Order: sequence, then structure tokens, then C-alpha cells
Amino acid sequence: MLKVHNLHASVDGKEILRGIDLEVKAGEVHAIMGPNGSGKSTLASVLAGNEKFTVTEGSAEFLGRDLLSMPIEDRARLGLFLGFQYPVEIPGVTMANFMKLAVNEQRKFRGEEPLTAAEFLKLMREKSAVVELSSKLTSRAVNEGFSGGEKKKNEIFQMAMLDPKLAILDETDSGLDIDALRIVATGVTKLHTPQNATVVITHYQRLLDYIVPDVVHVLYKGRIIHSGDKSLALRLEKEGYDWLINEYDK
Amino acid sequence: METILDIIRGFRAADGEVLRIDGAVAEPFAAVDPRKLRVEAAAGASARVVVVHTAPDLSVLEVELAEGAQLELTELFTAEAFAEVSVKQAARSRCRLTTVQLSSANASYRIDLDGADAENELGGVFLAAGSEHCVVKLRTGHNVADCRSNSYVKGVAGGQAVGEFSGLVYVAPDAQRTDARQQSRNILLSETARITTQPQLEIYADDVKCSHGATVGQMDAEAILYMRQRGLSESQARRLQIEGFVGDVVTRCGIEPLCGAIMELASAKMEKL
Repeated sequence: MLKVHNLHASVDGKEILRGIDLEVKAGEVHAIMGPNGSGKSTLASVLAGNEKFTVTEGSAEFLGRDLLSMPIEDRARLGLFLGFQYPVEIPGVTMANFMKLAVNEQRKFRGEEPLTAAEFLKLMREKSAVVELSSKLTSRAVNEGFSGGEKKKNEIFQMAMLDPKLAILDETDSGLDIDALRIVATGVTKLHTPQNATVVITHYQRLLDYIVPDVVHVLYKGRIIHSGDKSLALRLEKEGYDWLINEYDK
Repeated sequence: METILDIIRGFRAADGEVLRIDGAVAEPFAAVDPRKLRVEAAAGASARVVVVHTAPDLSVLEVELAEGAQLELTELFTAEAFAEVSVKQAARSRCRLTTVQLSSANASYRIDLDGADAENELGGVFLAAGSEHCVVKLRTGHNVADCRSNSYVKGVAGGQAVGEFSGLVYVAPDAQRTDARQQSRNILLSETARITTQPQLEIYADDVKCSHGATVGQMDAEAILYMRQRGLSESQARRLQIEGFVGDVVTRCGIEPLCGAIMELASAKMEKL
């Protein structure tokens, strides 16, 4: 589904990603961990198409298409979803209005008819149940006045609405209390199918108790320096990154 | 625009020079391009009046509300008109004014709160594109004690457009317990667009609550990026953000389906900003 090869990217002339290789197949869950400043969020942003970053080398293929040549909105319409670490507030724009446009743009891209008002409302109702998002929030302005937990739930709600092929969740667990973490993580698990894939970027093993990864990667200085199965996350939780970093820095 | 004129044809025509209102009138009145119109609401009367400017012209509108009268006045500009609006309010009267400029326009409002417990609320929007020039001038006079006013004007300018807001809240020496609020909020969409805003307070009483504020900002690039990540095009994301910014004012007139039609016209304009 996603094939990233030797990806280099920089911002303001500073190289952040220095040769990423990553392959994600349908049905898989990957976790990307690593110390602060290692490039995790940059990787997510570059794959999503944030124009702030410049790709200087390498390639990325998504569903057989050249990801890097597409603008951000086309990547989204093709089925790439980025759950933001800091979801943005959009005053005066209701969730319903926003999601209706988003869902119908995606349908248009796929050559499908737009949803009728009734179909759309039904979809909203169904999907808000996935993350126990109250209907009060879906009628409010996007993220405006939402608590940290509500914002993250709202990201997963939008993911449910858009039904992406590949979801990249950038520290969706940060700032969540235990209950919100459970709801968000359970939501992600419910949405997982053999046809889609999820990449979770996280600092903490606790998220991976709910979302069990097939592969765990450690990102350091803009490269994936180590990959393993879910036991790697447990070892990192116990021992930290030093054993890997020291090895790499040698 | 045709939709709006069609809707208005269904309203009562206010085509004379004086419109006298007695009692509660449910059906809205409408005037298209009035040169001079005087609205007189008798004590306790209530009505809604819509004024549409579709041609470049001079327009004078005088509103006088007797004790306890209530008026909702909605003004829409789709052509460069010069409009002078004066509103005189007696005790316990309520006036809710909405002005929407979708083209170059120059509108000045003089509000006089002349009787205790009078209340005025003014919401304004201008969307200036290309080389358009939108001007909103406001003077709210608290001439006696115990009146309330709340004004908020939102401006958006793109291209080489120019927007101007000047607002003065005047509080007379005896106008104690005045509650006056004024807000001017603006967004510039291009490097070459210009908006000047000049909020002013002139207060001669000592027991008052007055607040004013003015901001000029830009589009929120983070929000645009966020919306595009969900599949919206850049122009859709920009339009949605502008709609979110001005929507509450555009749709506050409360007369359906007119409100919806004005919003549609405004949305079409936003695509061009």
C-alpha cells in the first residue's frame, strides 16, 4: 500500500529526514517510536503533503501512485488520512458542514455521487458512535472550545467518516487521560480492517496495549534505525532508547 | 441576486417616502434602491424592513422609533451606493440592524439613543474584492442614561481592495449606566489589500461600561492545511474559513429564505476573493 524509499526532506534548509525506508501493507499496523526531535511528525507531515517541507531525495508510492507529486488534498481524497497532533480550531465552521464537503469531495474524486442530506446525517450518527462523540460536538464549530480529549476523539471521528486506506496518527495519544485513550484507541481498532492500514506515531507503549502493532520502528536522526515486532515497544518502555542510540551513534 | 429580488417581491413594498408602522406587522417591508425613505414606528409597534441597494446612487434612510417600538433593519449592498442611515430611538425601543456589503459601498450610520432603556445592536460585514472600496462609518450616541448598544463589524479584503471602518461611541455627560460595546474584526487575504479601522470612544459620564476592540489579521494557514488534509481544495477551504468568519453576521437577519439567499450570494463572492 505504502512504499517509501530513501526519503529525505528538509525544512528551511535543515535536513530532518535522512533516508527513510518504510513499507506498509494492507491489513498492517505499524508503530513509529523514537526520541523527541527524531523526525516522527515530519515524516507524517511529508507523507500527508505539507508544503512547508521540501523533499530533496527519494520516493513514496501510495496505492501504486507517486505520492510525492500529488497535492495534499488529492492524497487525502485517494485515502490518506493524517490525524493531527494538534487539531486546528476553525471558528464558525460546523463539523457537519465541514465533513459534508470533505466526504463529498472524496466521493467526487472517486467518481461517486454526492451523499443526500439524509444519507449524510445517517453516516454522521453511525460514525460518531465509534468514538462515543456526542452529537452536541458534531453540531458545534470544528474543534472550537473542544477539550484536548474531544479534539482527539474528533480526529478519529473524521477518520471514521472518511474511511481512509491509510491512516497516519500523529501522537493521537498525547494529552489523553486513561478513559479518552481507551475510547480513541478502541475506535482506531474498530476501524481497522484487512483492507486498510494504520501507522501510529507514539511515545508510549500504553497506546500499543490497545492498538497492537505488527511492526514497531524506531526513528532516530531522520532514519529508521531499528524495526521489530510488538515486543520491541515493551523493551523500549523498560529500557529507553539508549541501547539503540548508542549502538547507532557508534 | 435575482433570487433575492424574487424573495423581496413577496414582501410589502415600502415605495413611498414615508413608511408608518402601527402595531405588530409580521410580514417584512422591502425597499429597493430608495433615494429617500423615512420609517416611523409608533409606540409599541414592531416590524422588519429590508433595504437593497442594487444601483449606484445616493440613499438617505431615516428611522424613528417611538417608545417601546421594535425594528429589524437589514441592508444589502450589491452596487456602489452611498447610504446615510440615521436611527433615533425613544425609551425602551429596540433596533437590530444588519448591513452586508458585497460590493464597493459607502455607508454611514448615526444611532441616537434618546430614551432610557433603548437598545441598539448593529452587525456589519463587508467583502471587498479586486479594486473595490468598502466603507462603514458608525456613530452611536448614548444621549441619555441606561441604554445599551452592541456593534460588531467584520471586514474581508482581497486583491487590491480597501476597507475602512470608523466607529465612535459617544456617551453624553448624563448618560450614566451606559453599556456600549464595539468590535471591528478584519481579515486581509492578500499582500496588497488594505483595511483601516478606527474605533473611538468619547465618554463624558463616569458610571459606564464601554468596551471596544479592533483586529486585522490574515487567513489561518494551519486551518487551510487541516481542511485540505481532509480533502477540501484550497479555494473551498478559504471560502469555508471566510464563511465561518462572517457567517454569524450574514445570517443574523432572521428572515428566511432571505438570509439563506444572502449567504449564497456572499459565498459566491467569497470564491472571488
